[in-house]
Amino acid sequence: MTAASGVRRTLWDRLFLALVAAIYIFLMFPIVLVVVLSLNSGEFLAFPLEGVSLRWFGALFGNQRFLAALIYSVQIAAVATVVNAVFGTLAALYVARFAGRWRDRLRTLMTSPLLIPEILTAIALLFYFYELGIGTRYSLAIQMGHIVITFPYVFLNVSAALFNFDRSQEEAARSLGAGPWMTFRRVTLPAIKPGLITGGLFAFVISFDVFNISLLLKALGHNTMPLELFDYLRFNFDPTAAAVASLSIFVTFGAIFLIDRTVGLRSLRF
Amino acid sequence: MTSLALDRLNKHFGTQHILRDVSIAMAQGEFVSLLGPSGCGKTTTLRCIAGFEQPSSGRILFGDRDVTAALPEKRDIGMVFQSYALFPHMTVAENLDFGLVARKVPPDERRRRREAVLGMVRLQGFEGRYPRELSGGQQQRVALARALVIEPSVLLLDEPLANLDATLRDEMRFFIRELQQRVGITAIYVTHDQAEAMVMSDRIVVMRAGAIAQVGTPRMIYERPASLDVAAFIGRSNTLEARVEAVAGGGGLYVVRAGPSALRAAGPVGLAPGSAVRLLLRPEAVRVDPPDAAPAGGGNHILARIAASVYQGAAIQLVLETPEGARLIADVNGRRAVAPGQTVALGFAPADAWLLPA
Repeated sequence: MTAASGVRRTLWDRLFLALVAAIYIFLMFPIVLVVVLSLNSGEFLAFPLEGVSLRWFGALFGNQRFLAALIYSVQIAAVATVVNAVFGTLAALYVARFAGRWRDRLRTLMTSPLLIPEILTAIALLFYFYELGIGTRYSLAIQMGHIVITFPYVFLNVSAALFNFDRSQEEAARSLGAGPWMTFRRVTLPAIKPGLITGGLFAFVISFDVFNISLLLKALGHNTMPLELFDYLRFNFDPTAAAVASLSIFVTFGAIFLIDRTVGLRSLRF
Repeated sequence: MTSLALDRLNKHFGTQHILRDVSIAMAQGEFVSLLGPSGCGKTTTLRCIAGFEQPSSGRILFGDRDVTAALPEKRDIGMVFQSYALFPHMTVAENLDFGLVARKVPPDERRRRREAVLGMVRLQGFEGRYPRELSGGQQQRVALARALVIEPSVLLLDEPLANLDATLRDEMRFFIRELQQRVGITAIYVTHDQAEAMVMSDRIVVMRAGAIAQVGTPRMIYERPASLDVAAFIGRSNTLEARVEAVAGGGGLYVVRAGPSALRAAGPVGLAPGSAVRLLLRPEAVRVDPPDAAPAGGGNHILARIAASVYQGAAIQLVLETPEGARLIADVNGRRAVAPGQTVALGFAPADAWLLPA
């Protein structure tokens, strides 16, 4: 009996393992493929590889348009991340502590950029900035768009961290003689730090990746990385595109590696 | 010397009246428990003292300093929370240093005080541990140490033993009490556990529905409760309906009639002859005598039939019924044979019975 159930369990274990493996392969294969293709020495974005070389990365870094787009994207994403780190945290603190009976409605409102189709948010902001007479002459419109779109990620992650936080820790700090600022800095902030970092990372990556918002709101004469890549692929089909994609993947892995080294991925668990 | 005084604290929350004229004066070094069921206002009172809640009216005095409007960080209190509220991202040493840093105590002094207080709670060598690496009892002691290291003028404890298992809880009661006496600090202890309040406190404040029901030493609260509510909340008790027949002397001694028996019992001064009262009798104060025996010197006898007996090892708990239908509980010596169905005489001394206005 015991032996039979033991056998059955290993069988299920193996099937489950196979299923998980299949899902991972399905998810990871395109990413690996893109990286492999970016190393192709041939002229086209296709298999089989004609040889292995870094020439397309060279082409990428020699391409002024891609470099400018990369810098522009990083700038927009960095500003959106920093702004949301501050306002997303403040909003989460307010909703968790002071909103009272408005809490649920406010929370829905704060997360609405996730629920409303991105293209609608983009159109609304476009009208709004034209109405203001600013339009897309500057980067203000696209920057606001990215801030709005990525705001819920910081808000939600910090809210989750606050939800699990025992507030008597703050009271303990106050009873020990710490004022509100010292209490926030030394007790509350460390407690929500994992949420803040996860939310910030999400905000950065989403901002880096977002397309519709950027397409409608980008400032004249500027392109973000995804827009530039799209433009490029319309007329070219060489592995530079794969090199661009690989670069994005490396940036993401780099960010994860950095977080693991600084705060540790384990602290990001909920 | 009064170390802490609450002067007619009231607290309203919407239409609810959470605290009603709560006044307490505590001497330096006194250990006072706020005892009562949940929702009685004991925690709100403590939080008002700590400064986490503002009373709607009334004053809070630390010595002669009025702190009613002061922020918590300006009050000079040490507080131990039910959840301990240790800072999880800080080591034991950092937790202890927190209050000292807030008070700008120099590093040398910090280390000296930290070591002294860790010695007191028997946690030397634990400076580098994180709270999650400690057992519940150890975390509790760190929380105590963190509250004491700042040498506050008052120590506030909010059900600090509620999350510990029974054995550890018994141990910690004596530990906290002993530590409090050694340090000589005034302490206020919130609990719903009457046994805890009994063994730890100099005085107990029994609270009910936002008001103080009685203030007194554990002995007074137990033996001379101010009301039936207090009596019911503290320990088990029997109550018999009775009527005052005569005042039997100055110091609050009365003759009362309960059913056919004339009984002598202690009571508060000023009960009028003829008034209806309840006679309160603790189960362990009752003696079981043969039905035809004469009551021992000045004592009382009530005849009752044994309805049930429950063997409890050290004692036997008897459930008795008087001919009038009142049910009484008596704890008697476990080695005596008493059979259900038997009629016995329940004996008790007048001082062991306590009368309360019905």
